[in-house]
Amino acid sequence: MPAKNRFQSELEFVQCLANPNYLNFLAQRGFLRDRPFINYLKYLLYWKEPEYAKFLKYPHCLHMLELLQYEHFRKELVNAQCAKFIDEQQLLHWQHYSRKRTRLQQALAEQQQAPQQPPQHGNASAK
Amino acid sequence: EETTEGYFLRTLGNKSSTVLYYRELIEMLALSRSQKLPQPGEDTQILELLVQRDKEFQELMEVAQQQGKVHQEMQLLEKEVEKRDSDIQQLQKQLKEAEHILATAVYQAKEKLKSIEKARKGSISSEEIIKYAHRISASNAVCAPLNWVPGDPRRPYPTDLEMRSGMLGHMANLPSNGMNGHLPGDALAAGRLPDVLTPHYPWQPSDVSVGMLPPHHGNDFGLEPPGHNKENEDDVEAMSTDSSSSSSDSD
Repeated sequence: MPAKNRFQSELEFVQCLANPNYLNFLAQRGFLRDRPFINYLKYLLYWKEPEYAKFLKYPHCLHMLELLQYEHFRKELVNAQCAKFIDEQQLLHWQHYSRKRTRLQQALAEQQQAPQQPPQHGNASAK
Repeated sequence: EETTEGYFLRTLGNKSSTVLYYRELIEMLALSRSQKLPQPGEDTQILELLVQRDKEFQELMEVAQQQGKVHQEMQLLEKEVEKRDSDIQQLQKQLKEAEHILATAVYQAKEKLKSIEKARKGSISSEEIIKYAHRISASNAVCAPLNWVPGDPRRPYPTDLEMRSGMLGHMANLPSNGMNGHLPGDALAAGRLPDVLTPHYPWQPSDVSVGMLPPHHGNDFGLEPPGHNKENEDDVEAMSTDSSSSSSDSD
């Protein structure tokens, strides 16, 4: 396989690891027990280096890749419940900053509404 | 060689003889009063002996005095020596302290150098970081779109569709009978979308320079990456991105 193609395929594959459903799929087919595959996962750790990482669109995959180095994690992924839990947590984390931003915007909006009333002075000549 | 002390003791030990001389002399003087010169030479002899004894004592006293002086000098010198000793000990303590401080300083300096080196190695131009930050944010890859609600198919990972439309997806979709377990003619199952419908998901880099190569692995793995085609889709659980099943309202 030409090197450029290998680069692209490995780039795609490593990012697929960000998908917990795909991980569950791999686990159920026994790939995560396969020694060559485990070696391949270790090899893929090169994507953590900055000169490679800059090509990643889905950085979550790096965290998943790190977790996949552990046998315990690989074993647990066979359970659909586990994959679902990971998916939920991942989505919540993904939404964390949007929620924070929304709250900030709301707080800002409330703040801007408050000081709209003009100050009342007893001897204001403008009245 | 006899010490002064020893000589004194010996002489005093002979005090009995001295006393005897005195007694004899006094007896003789007493006798000489009552008698007329019993023995002419004896009293002179005794007197001479006494004088001699006296001289010896005088000499001894002088020696004792000199020795006393020497002893005093010795004491002075000993005090000096003590003082110098304590000075040296003090200096030793200070040197030890200085060594300790310097060792600490050197160690911390080395640590600092290490961290400087580490920081230098990891330095990236701010422009690149901003570019990358934009890339992963604009596509909502790390932060959910503000209007995201359950039901929205977007995810922080490549979805089914994206995977199948990628290079790997196309690689695995070879037109043969029963390839990888899915039936021919089921174009959707085979993952082959008509070209015009194939969405172009920008998760394959378009700016890959030829120089960018993955590290060499020499086919150690003996395994091609698993295909992204929907083999045995029926028994694949939750493979699809049916968003309703992954609603995360439980905040």
